[in-house]
Amino acid sequence: MKLLEFLVPQAITVDLQATDKEGVIREIVGRLRQAGALAASDCESVIKAILSREELGSTGIGRGVAVPHTRHPSVDKLVACIATSQKGVDFASLDDHPAYVFFLLISPPNQPGPHLRALDNAARYMRDDQFVDSLRAAESPEAVISLIRDMDTQHNSGS
Amino acid sequence: MFLIDSLVLIAGVLLLLAIMSSKLSTRLGVPVLVLFLLLGMLAGSEGIAGIEFENYPLAHGIGTVALAMILFDGGLGTSIPAIRLAWKPAVLLSTLGVLITALVTGVGASLILGISWLEGLLMGSIVASTDAAAVFSVMRSGGMRLPKRLEAVLEIESASNDAMAIFLTIGCIEVLLGNVVPGPALLGIFFSQMIVGAAVGLAGGFAGAWLVNRIDLNSAGLYPVLVSAIGLLTFGVTTHFAGSGFLAIYLAGVVIGNRPLVFQRGILLFHDAIAWLSQIVMFVVLGLLCFPSRLLNVAWLSLAVSAVLIFVARPLAVFVSTRGFRFTLKETVFMSWVGLKGAVPITLATFPLMLATPEKPLQAPLLFDVVFFTVVVSAVIQGTSLTPAARWLGLEQPPEPEPPVTLEINSLKHVHGEVVDYAVGEDSRAAGRLVRNLTLPEGATIAMIARGDQIVPPQGNTRILAGDHVILVLKPGIVALVSQVFGRDDDSRGTIPDTLEFPLRARTTISELQEFYLISVEAPPERTLAEVICTDLGCTEPKEGDSVKLGPLRLRIARLGIDGKIEMVGMSILPEQDRP
Repeated sequence: MKLLEFLVPQAITVDLQATDKEGVIREIVGRLRQAGALAASDCESVIKAILSREELGSTGIGRGVAVPHTRHPSVDKLVACIATSQKGVDFASLDDHPAYVFFLLISPPNQPGPHLRALDNAARYMRDDQFVDSLRAAESPEAVISLIRDMDTQHNSGS
Repeated sequence: MFLIDSLVLIAGVLLLLAIMSSKLSTRLGVPVLVLFLLLGMLAGSEGIAGIEFENYPLAHGIGTVALAMILFDGGLGTSIPAIRLAWKPAVLLSTLGVLITALVTGVGASLILGISWLEGLLMGSIVASTDAAAVFSVMRSGGMRLPKRLEAVLEIESASNDAMAIFLTIGCIEVLLGNVVPGPALLGIFFSQMIVGAAVGLAGGFAGAWLVNRIDLNSAGLYPVLVSAIGLLTFGVTTHFAGSGFLAIYLAGVVIGNRPLVFQRGILLFHDAIAWLSQIVMFVVLGLLCFPSRLLNVAWLSLAVSAVLIFVARPLAVFVSTRGFRFTLKETVFMSWVGLKGAVPITLATFPLMLATPEKPLQAPLLFDVVFFTVVVSAVIQGTSLTPAARWLGLEQPPEPEPPVTLEINSLKHVHGEVVDYAVGEDSRAAGRLVRNLTLPEGATIAMIARGDQIVPPQGNTRILAGDHVILVLKPGIVALVSQVFGRDDDSRGTIPDTLEFPLRARTTISELQEFYLISVEAPPERTLAEVICTDLGCTEPKEGDSVKLGPLRLRIARLGIDGKIEMVGMSILPEQDRP
């Protein structure tokens, strides 16, 4: 499964402004709305759903990476966005370090298989330190896309 | 005894002692280069052995060749992805950064030593470059692991900044001697150093890699020598055309190291050995060259110059050059601290000694002593404290698990494939699994399994056992994937699994989990994760690291509370073939 298939390119940003968990989720969801991937009327309920998933345990999986996600009826296919912050965000992560790289995923309610596969893929990519470092250093959305494309090719060949 | 016989004896003893001292290095936390330098000083005219050595041109010659080979080996080991990741800040650091370091140190030196501005600048230029030999010896041989980008920037910077320092040094000397007036002519030297260096280096690399793969030599031992010859040739041609030989040989190494090569392993091993030999010879010779008593005379002045260099010039250069490249403050501070000086400044400091004329003495002996002292201070203080500094700043990375490969066979002729032998340990992911369940990538074939003194023919239903040696034939480029299959099963040892985990509170209920993941499981919805894990493990005393499968998920006990109850659970998603 390639992340590029459901990543919304127009929503990618390398310059997040918010520095707390809710703010950063709002900002990314806002960008997905601007990109046309979410309806304005659904945004609040998506944000609420993502935050209530965070209640079960932070999706800050360490190494400066967070993968906030939820299922939500407002989408009919997987929708994801990658965003990076220069300032770092307190995400209550496993290792207590601030998060710099965010992979936010919203899945349709009735497709648990793709939802899990996308999460697993994202977590697998993020295990690669060099990839995470490169994402953090990326200076434009185009650079982010080309990094993801490289990673997609690497992980989807051979096996 | 002929003279050469005694020299061979001395060389043998010194090499042996140097190799012994490298064993001490990790125990004492001192970089090997410091120990080599100390060894040279001990063997020198004022040390125990009392070897007289004051031949600056010879020292310069040895230093140049040794540094060239160290840079060549560094280039061979630098991957293209690392360069892509780090070249922009590295190039700025090695040009603008060196200039700032030289200027600031120069002003400090001229005030402290009471010499002219230009002589100060000469001093600053000599000590401005971060030493590749020192950085490589601490980073690669010292076993320290840093974030990849930081490591790549530091290595590429140190390998490419000598060109700039050499240019500044020669420029200052020429101006001081009155051979060149500052202006366009000086800029000409700069561009010829950089452009000729880069062009000849890249061309030499491509031509060399092509030659190695086409030449079809009869003896394997000739291949590494051929590659060395290509490196030296590139260096020589470049300097002949007034380019930077150091830049050229590094780039040639990068190009050659990133192409598929005949007998690659042998070539890399040979150059690794040459680089070690070069480090030992270079630092021991430089140690021999110095007179500790003369150094003591300039101790206080040199300490002041070192302080300006370490605490003002280098940090300023790093902060200015890396601004806008998204390094954290901690990373920037660390880069400032890795301003290790080494052989280049000492080699460069022999330039004024060789070029000074009676009318224009250039303050050469003073400069040499101060430079030498500064290098020793930098190598000892910064070199020794690098690992603690990385730890203190929270930058040190956990060590990578050792690859399970025990043997690699590369063909001498060019064949697209490799033969690899894996020793299957108790904790290998492959242990206990059937061959057909190994999920080997396409292009990997098990050729044989050696069990004790038996050869087991591999079939789909052959079970791999701990203690087996599994020999595979692989297409190029898939060793890493196969290593994952045979690697240690980290899950069972309670460390980082091969995908990152999502932390969950242990009192999360099954119904909450279903709300977000819509998983189908048999457990009652009101059960908490802690209860499910305990029921499944059938245990009263849960242990951190134990894990159970729940539908498509794996739940691992991430943390126990002080009461011994499960507090946090790590959730990861099982690969599809492992799901029930």
